[in-house]
Amino acid sequence: MITVGYFLIAFGAFFYFLGGLGILRMPDVYNRLQAGTKATTLGSFSVILGVGLVNLDYLPKALVIIAFIALTNPVGSSVLARASYLKGIKPTDKTKVDEYKGGDEK
Amino acid sequence: MRRVFALLISLGLILFFVNSLSILPEYGNVELSKVSNAYINKSVNGNNEKVKFGESKDLEDGAANVVTSIVVDYRSFDTLGEVTVLFTSALGVGLILHGFKRKTYGRLPNFILRVSVGILLPLILLFGVYVFVHGHLTPGGGFPGGTIIAAGILLLYLSNEEFDLSKTSKFVESYAGSLYIVVGLVGLAIGGVFLINFLPTGVVGDLFSAGIVPIVYILIGFKVGAELSGVIADLYREG
Repeated sequence: MITVGYFLIAFGAFFYFLGGLGILRMPDVYNRLQAGTKATTLGSFSVILGVGLVNLDYLPKALVIIAFIALTNPVGSSVLARASYLKGIKPTDKTKVDEYKGGDEK
Repeated sequence: MRRVFALLISLGLILFFVNSLSILPEYGNVELSKVSNAYINKSVNGNNEKVKFGESKDLEDGAANVVTSIVVDYRSFDTLGEVTVLFTSALGVGLILHGFKRKTYGRLPNFILRVSVGILLPLILLFGVYVFVHGHLTPGGGFPGGTIIAAGILLLYLSNEEFDLSKTSKFVESYAGSLYIVVGLVGLAIGGVFLINFLPTGVVGDLFSAGIVPIVYILIGFKVGAELSGVIADLYREG
């Protein structure tokens, strides 16, 4: 169990690294936002679950924290993306599909 | 050149973290001075016996959280000053931004935000209340708990253009602040010292323990939450 926990922590750290790399390498706000939230959501899940498995006393708390992150993280990134779109920040030229053109109806 | 600097800074940070983590003493193996032992055993005037979690009874201060026992009991007067500092800063923000109209965008806030507020807001408020009610048992207390509640209020402000709380927050804030001073004055009347812990302290680790510490922390939680909500309301008015 402890080995699995440490493996999960290392896995999560790797995904944190990928998230940081994505923020550095992605071309525009929206892609960076995706890298910064999606990768780190999985990273946080793994790290917190790993800590819960290493010390089983923390497991219920860890599961609750995972539920909270699953509830809040997507909402935050969605709000940020919508705000930056409505502020007028353009996606890169490589973006082909834009289903949110003109914002939502008043 | 920028990359070299970035690399150097990250290397420095890594070295700093590894260094400071490697000199940490082993868990539970710390040599403490006499003063810190007196505070940890909650017997500054007493005979410095070891405190046992869930067993020791009727100490000077029954808070299981050492920081709380110092912040809200041994130097509670200082905390009263801290609350006043926060009040003054909220007053300053209100003074500067008074009279501005609230900004409206003419479109409904984010649909995802509006839906998720209904799920998240009760949980956030519950968590904030938990943090300040358990301030004498776990890390946390009135200041973080109040801040969490204010974050929930910010969520309400973001998701609803008509929402306004400025009157309620002022009401709650002034009553909580006055009650803190009333608690202190009752201590002065009973024990002869302002803000003395005049209630029975009970068993260390119980929810109902530590005398006036939970009461004061609940008051601080309400006060800080109301104050920061007021600051959010003021900042949201920016034209």
